[in-house]
Amino acid sequence: MQIQRAAVIGAGVMGSGIAAHIANAGVPVVLLDIVPKGMPAGADRSAVARGAVQKLLKADPAPFMHPKNARLVTPGNLEDDLGLLADCDWIVEAVIEDPAIKADLYRRIDPVRKAGSVVSSNTSTIPLAALVEGQSEAFRRDFLITHFFNPPRYMRLLELVTGPDTRSDAADALADFCDRRLGKGVVRCKDRPGFIANRIGAFWIQAAINAAFDLGLSVEEADAIAGRPMGIPKTGIFGLMDLVGIDLMPHIARSLLATLPEGDAYRAAYREHPLIARMIAEGLTGRKGKGGFYRLNRDGGGKVKEAIDLKTGAYRPAERPKPESLAAAGRDLRALADHPDRTGAYARTVLAGTLAYAASLVPEIADDIVSVDEAMRLGYNWKQGPFELIDRLGSDWFADLCRREGIPVPALVERAAGRPFYRVEGGRLEHLTVDGAYTPVPRPDGVLLLSDVKRAGKPVWKNGSASLWNIGDGVMCLEFTSKMNTLDADTMAAYGKAMALIGDGRGAWKALVVHNEADNFSVGANLGLALFALNIALWPQIEEMVEAGQRTYRALKYAPFPVVGAPSGMALGGGCEILLHCDHVQAHAETYVGLVEVGVGVIPGWGGCTELLARHAADPKLPKGPMPAIAKAFETISLAKVAKSAAEAKDLKYLRATDGITMNRARLLADAKAKALELADGYTPPQPATYTLPGPGGRTALDLFVEGVRLQGKATPHDVVVCRKLAEVLTGGDADITQPVDEDAILALERKAFMDLVHEPDTVDRIEHMLTTGKPLRN
Amino acid sequence: MKSVVIAGYARSPFTFATKGELARVRPDDLLAGVMAALVARTGLNPDDLEDVAVGCAFPEGEQGLNVARLASFLAKLPETAGATTVNRFCGSSMQAIHQAAGAVAMGAGDLFLCAGVESMSRVPMMGFNPMLHPGLAEGYPEAYCSMGITAENVARRYGIARAEQEALAAASHARAAEARLQGRLEAEIVPVDAPGGRIAEDGCIRPETSAESLAALKPAFLAEGTVTAGTSSPLTDGAAAVLVASEEYARANGLPVLARIRSIAVAGCAPDVMGLGPVPAARKALARAGLTIGDMGVVELNEAFASQAIACIRELGVDEATLNLDGGAIALGHPLGATGARITGKAAALLKREGKPFALATQCIGGGQGIATVLEAV
Repeated sequence: MQIQRAAVIGAGVMGSGIAAHIANAGVPVVLLDIVPKGMPAGADRSAVARGAVQKLLKADPAPFMHPKNARLVTPGNLEDDLGLLADCDWIVEAVIEDPAIKADLYRRIDPVRKAGSVVSSNTSTIPLAALVEGQSEAFRRDFLITHFFNPPRYMRLLELVTGPDTRSDAADALADFCDRRLGKGVVRCKDRPGFIANRIGAFWIQAAINAAFDLGLSVEEADAIAGRPMGIPKTGIFGLMDLVGIDLMPHIARSLLATLPEGDAYRAAYREHPLIARMIAEGLTGRKGKGGFYRLNRDGGGKVKEAIDLKTGAYRPAERPKPESLAAAGRDLRALADHPDRTGAYARTVLAGTLAYAASLVPEIADDIVSVDEAMRLGYNWKQGPFELIDRLGSDWFADLCRREGIPVPALVERAAGRPFYRVEGGRLEHLTVDGAYTPVPRPDGVLLLSDVKRAGKPVWKNGSASLWNIGDGVMCLEFTSKMNTLDADTMAAYGKAMALIGDGRGAWKALVVHNEADNFSVGANLGLALFALNIALWPQIEEMVEAGQRTYRALKYAPFPVVGAPSGMALGGGCEILLHCDHVQAHAETYVGLVEVGVGVIPGWGGCTELLARHAADPKLPKGPMPAIAKAFETISLAKVAKSAAEAKDLKYLRATDGITMNRARLLADAKAKALELADGYTPPQPATYTLPGPGGRTALDLFVEGVRLQGKATPHDVVVCRKLAEVLTGGDADITQPVDEDAILALERKAFMDLVHEPDTVDRIEHMLTTGKPLRN
Repeated sequence: MKSVVIAGYARSPFTFATKGELARVRPDDLLAGVMAALVARTGLNPDDLEDVAVGCAFPEGEQGLNVARLASFLAKLPETAGATTVNRFCGSSMQAIHQAAGAVAMGAGDLFLCAGVESMSRVPMMGFNPMLHPGLAEGYPEAYCSMGITAENVARRYGIARAEQEALAAASHARAAEARLQGRLEAEIVPVDAPGGRIAEDGCIRPETSAESLAALKPAFLAEGTVTAGTSSPLTDGAAAVLVASEEYARANGLPVLARIRSIAVAGCAPDVMGLGPVPAARKALARAGLTIGDMGVVELNEAFASQAIACIRELGVDEATLNLDGGAIALGHPLGATGARITGKAAALLKREGKPFALATQCIGGGQGIATVLEAV
């Protein structure tokens, strides 16, 4: 079954977000909602769905990867447009969590949908068995649950639940679509309350809140412990509640209490805290409300971060707690949980309770531990899932912790008997099964993880900033390994080594892929090093750094073998310039590319100006003459534009129209490798471009524009200095329109402009400010 | 010298550049539509056309390649008529009228189609490839002074407060909105078939504009300035056309004569206060006509910016009861090359409608110029 057209019913936050994301996959989608009651005649009967699309276009973070994707969403209403469902291969129901309403809707959908189409519910609380009750035979065969997480574009987890009657081919086809086309990590769950992620997540939140009250921790202390140290986002518990809405918790609790088996540990853990009930009653529901556990107090024009006192319920300025337990334990989770003070006790209580609960639920909620870990990683953004966390503690140590805490040791932990839940055997990752044996962690076809490659062997070569890996079939992978994947001389050396090893691409090595599995591909050049060099005026070294980058990137561009970039997350500054020099970029859909150098008072100096200019100059859609391309490149670089998706990066020409986009991050490296091998067959390097540039006349026009922006008060004095340098580079310095120049000439201008700018004290201030605050200085 | 008359006026709707309904219409098509409509409405014999003169401020891209000739083909005018594209920036299409008037007067033709066009959506101000003279920019930066800054300079020189500018802008919108409501603009507008459907009304007029709503806007060109988007004419798409003929020919052929051209003038001024250009230009034209501003029952003064319009009103002593009766460019829009034909044609039409003896049409021009036309009733 191919999903060529889809429908979402219910244009609320989840439904419209799912529709937007289906559109992101390039699939046309119908979005239906009710006709509002008491509408005047002649009014738009599809106003609910149409309004939802308008909201999607304004939402931040953007549900659409590109505004034009909105055109793929057809809004309609449930009275006039049910017929549109007849063409849909997949119908997602995302209406209110009311079994009667859903059942009624299914009975209306069933006669109009086409034979063999799949219907799924986005329910998070209603069992599948209850949903299909009383529905037709055919409906039961074609029905399953697809549980997305909010926001659907960004959260990678998709919980998929099938019933005893669900056609396995339908489930497989949909799972494949959600994996490849929607980029989701599809986790198969059993038809149990809360499925996997919310079942464990709700317990974790409840346990952590209870413990904070019981042990007398402040919200900041609790979040400092049950956050980063456990590999959990820094929002911790209370920050997370503020984010998702504190009023959501009673809903989830109610549904779990109504459906969980007797004796489930959640029942014992469940407690209503009067303070939280009061907060909800007063509208203190978190970021969407008037405040939450934290709030920004804007009284008196300032912006003071405040936290609620769990004892008194009053707001007070937020603190940055530095618990002694954390200082003593460092990264050792066991030491943290062993620490004698109340923050150690907090870590102990939360970890023991949550992990034991999770361990007790396999195989009740999932067939294996891998699904549980994956669900918590992708659905709650934990760095490690519960079983990986138990491995960090040691399964025997953890069993002992359970005994100390008076919690029954889960059967699965008993079965582990001190063995880890995961092990590496013969270079392959294996996990412990419910019957106590190890079996390889499955990797679907088309999934190649650098982490698997790394587990299996040693790098071909490495230094302090990068490693070279053999990813098979003659393809080498260059991985950045520096902090935040910043780029420095060692990175350049690694490129040099890769080129030396690959040689002419006709020996053992055929191609190079640049890829890593960090959150961000690269945030650019190492500013700390640059600042150090500036502060002691190591001008020749700085110039050499610029030249070396240009040399290296150019050598890669013209190397006799193909180079494929495979980024995900941020690719900024020098990280963007790497991609600009690749023969092909296979980008994860969530790649955020930008030449952001102006923010630190310089211009792109590693060929970024030159390459972006060449791309715009080659655009046949621009008007003739040199200035349109220059103006485009100038606008993008001077405003330090960062694309908010790979699709947007194509608009900005950071990516070429022909570059590939992979929706599922787990498939990125395999896609990039396949492209590299395809290019390696009969590869010829690109031909250098020549540039027809206007020289001083064009520069003067850009200068005039910059002056206008300055007068408007939208450009700072140093913006003007930097932009004038950029104008000089992009217009070709002293070039004349009759004398085309080669890229060497523009690269030389880049170097000169860069060196002129690093001599400016205002540039140094910008770099310093960025390093200390992470934000650009507007000087 | 032969007597010269204006024997017809028509224009397209004016709509906002980029976001307006005409943004996706090619300017040559827009122009051709207006020209063809004027030919049809006046019932002129196209074979008698001596020349087609089209004003355009940035004659390139889709309005390049002597757009006058190409639009003539599109409008199915006979190949025997000439065609010229005229550039005097904002004064381009008034200049086209002046050229035609001069030619008629010296016996070099009896019938001229004078038009103007600008798609500010499709051809940017300054054109696609601005390449300025670096030495001039360095030694005499006034030459390239941006239009918004000239408006600020005029406001400062004449001490024109922001509130006063906003009052003029609000009045302009009120007059234009009223004119539209009363259907007084219908006769001059030629509907255009745009990708989104047929467009028959102006798109820039904001009837809800008030002094309060204008007061909320931020300065547009100078951080601490007084000129806002609300007191500037908007970037606009549009075309306008005027029929210029010898009076003798017009009468012999039954053309609908609106007014006689009494005198014309152009004048230069300092480029950094280009908005004052109408002052010397109008004074010259009035002197040539042997008339004074007090004789003018109708004045069409292009509102490039409220500040420059106010300065010109003060300097020339314009009676506001005669000024821009159906709204000015702040409300209607200012498609650069088309504006001269609009205000001249409009002044002629108003002269007839209002039954006044004389009219003045005048406008400022980027780079520091003014242009003016004095009309008299026939």
